[in-house]
Amino acid sequence: MSILKVENLSKKIGKKEILRDVNFEVNAGDILAFIGPNGAGKTTTIKCILGLQKLTSGKITINGYDIKKDFVKAILKVGSIVEAPEAYMYLSGYDNLLLDKNYYKNIKEEEIMRVVKLVGLENRIYDKVSKYSLGMRQRLGIARSLLNNPNLLILDEPTNGLDPEGIKDLRELMIKLAHDGIGIVISSHNLSELENFCNKVCIISQGRVLSLKSIDDLKKIDQAKYLVRVDDVKKIKKYLTKEDKIVNDTLIEVIKDEQEIASFIKELAVTDALIYEVKREDLTLEEAFINIAGGKKID
Amino acid sequence: MTNLIKSEMKKIFHKKSFYIVTIIFVLYAILTNVIYKSIDDFSINDPEVTIEELEKENSRLDLNVKENLDKYVTNLSNIEIKKMEDTYKNGEYLINKYVFPLVYQANLLEYMEKDLEESNIVRTKIDEYLNKIKDNDWKYFASMRMSELKNISNEDKDEKTDIYIKLTEYRIKNNIPYDEDNYLNNALIDVENNLSEYYNLKNKKTSKEEQERLDYLKEEMLVNKYILEHQKDIKNNESLKGVLSNFASEFGLFILIYVIMLSGSIVSEEYNKGTIKNLLTKPFKRRTILTSKLLTVLILMPIIILIMVLIEIIVGGLILGFDSLNIPILIYNSSTSLLEVYNVFKYLILSLISNIPIYLVLGIICFMLSTITASTSAAITITFLFYLMSNVISNLALVYNLKIFKYFVALHWDFSYLLESTPNPYHFTPSFSLIIIGIYLIVILALTYIFFDKKDVKNI
Repeated sequence: MSILKVENLSKKIGKKEILRDVNFEVNAGDILAFIGPNGAGKTTTIKCILGLQKLTSGKITINGYDIKKDFVKAILKVGSIVEAPEAYMYLSGYDNLLLDKNYYKNIKEEEIMRVVKLVGLENRIYDKVSKYSLGMRQRLGIARSLLNNPNLLILDEPTNGLDPEGIKDLRELMIKLAHDGIGIVISSHNLSELENFCNKVCIISQGRVLSLKSIDDLKKIDQAKYLVRVDDVKKIKKYLTKEDKIVNDTLIEVIKDEQEIASFIKELAVTDALIYEVKREDLTLEEAFINIAGGKKID
Repeated sequence: MTNLIKSEMKKIFHKKSFYIVTIIFVLYAILTNVIYKSIDDFSINDPEVTIEELEKENSRLDLNVKENLDKYVTNLSNIEIKKMEDTYKNGEYLINKYVFPLVYQANLLEYMEKDLEESNIVRTKIDEYLNKIKDNDWKYFASMRMSELKNISNEDKDEKTDIYIKLTEYRIKNNIPYDEDNYLNNALIDVENNLSEYYNLKNKKTSKEEQERLDYLKEEMLVNKYILEHQKDIKNNESLKGVLSNFASEFGLFILIYVIMLSGSIVSEEYNKGTIKNLLTKPFKRRTILTSKLLTVLILMPIIILIMVLIEIIVGGLILGFDSLNIPILIYNSSTSLLEVYNVFKYLILSLISNIPIYLVLGIICFMLSTITASTSAAITITFLFYLMSNVISNLALVYNLKIFKYFVALHWDFSYLLESTPNPYHFTPSFSLIIIGIYLIVILALTYIFFDKKDVKNI
């Protein structure tokens, strides 16, 4: 079931095009990793989804409601953290949640302790937020975003400030929530953290979606890493391109899809080089991303 | 909506700044009341010539010149009177009214006429008077005044003498000594002193200045009459009543500070702290959220004023006593030449209501700036500057009768002239002023709503 649908989303600020034709979809149970370098448009996309910024063109529907026309209904079942987990510093964590609770009908006060327990903040919930660490505020932010029993969760860089233990807790929580049928969008530049539990990846750069794949597809299809062992690399040097990597005198590493590797081998076969071994390895998410993003490293 | 407003209230009442300003206000109220209590100590007396100065002057005078002799006698009499005043502390009025002419006469006889015998006769009279003053026998002077007046009235009956007689009768009947700490005595003396000037002005064609003076005298007459008839110490402003009747001018700045502090931060702070993102992703339209904030300011405004009044009543009551609260406030209406009598609280409420448009307009301006600039300090600073500028512009418009500021809101927002029963200084009708204020409010709010609805929450 489609929970979030982003269609041809474009956003201009003045003459500057921030987003162009962004499309993706999140279904129940999906965990979408929303990935891109700084300034790629991740936060802007998220803000457009949440109605914090206006769309220049395109359409966003949440649970079947257009956010332009039916904002109140569309946003009702959405939980979110944008940029940083802000809270009223002069109130306790509990009071912050109480404020949030009051914005929704039909949420009982017991719900507050339920979400507090989910994020493991029971011991400090009555302390003022000004005394919290960034990690604790991140946990509080996640608790806030879960308070209204959302079926779409949008978390912008939620791993910021979390220690490894916290990241592990978050991962487990996300997997559990996805299992319960919630659609989740997580933006991050820390790919290795998301790789283990997201099932979709949307890669965005300079305001455009470069790739939208399931994680398995991204790793498997089209391109893979091939290690080619020959007797002497010099003999095949003229067939190598800039992107290909010479590991040592006898080993090269190339990233190609199946068609390309087949013709590559054909080319090598007519030289006097001896091909001992061609070994295929799946790309890590990081490698796949760098490749798609045109070799740009993420910062 | 109710929940939204409740949440806004909760945020505000958890802020330290709100309580800090309140504590400062309490301290300010204490100081203000202390000042009211000691108005007397602060009042500046006219610098009087001292006995030494007079004596010095006299020793330099050449007594062979006739004009100098005159001066000498006057100075000598003044010296004597001053010495008497120092001896009989609460006899000042009687000494000046009854003893001074005699002293002058005695000195005149002694030094000008060289008639020591006559002078001594007068001196005996002076001693007699002084003894009466010493014994605090004010009734002696009252009955003396009474027989004096009766004689005049027998010869030539007129309205003025009748009033003098009534005043003296009142004094005797109500046992009012010539004591300047007694407000009834002060009222009697005020009437006596002003009466002849009042009749003079009343019975002739008056110039503009004289007309103003006459209006003032009329008001004084009516107020003193009220004091005597009701035996209420109306003119005493060293009291809680005095502070409350000036509440808007004494504490108006604090009302303004509260209003601007609230309306200047209620939107912008959410932007500054980033919490606006939490707020705008809740299931409400943006305009609902803005309305809840606006209503919060509008609801809190009267509540804060009420709290301030309560604080002032408690603080002022403890310092100045509560008993003045049953003394009414009198407002003279010059167009009807009548006194309007207000209960202290009624007057206070009306005077606050007449000032509400000032706080309302400034609050809404600050609210708009807070929304548009998303900066608390900018909103507060600009609003304060606007307030200061509008005071200057109002004064300029008044002094130079400038027509271009006819539609400037600050010329319209003060309605206290209605309560004081004075004409509008700019000759606007109240309904015209209300329309202007209404237009300002609508335009400002429309801009605020349009802007807030369109505004993108910027990335940090």
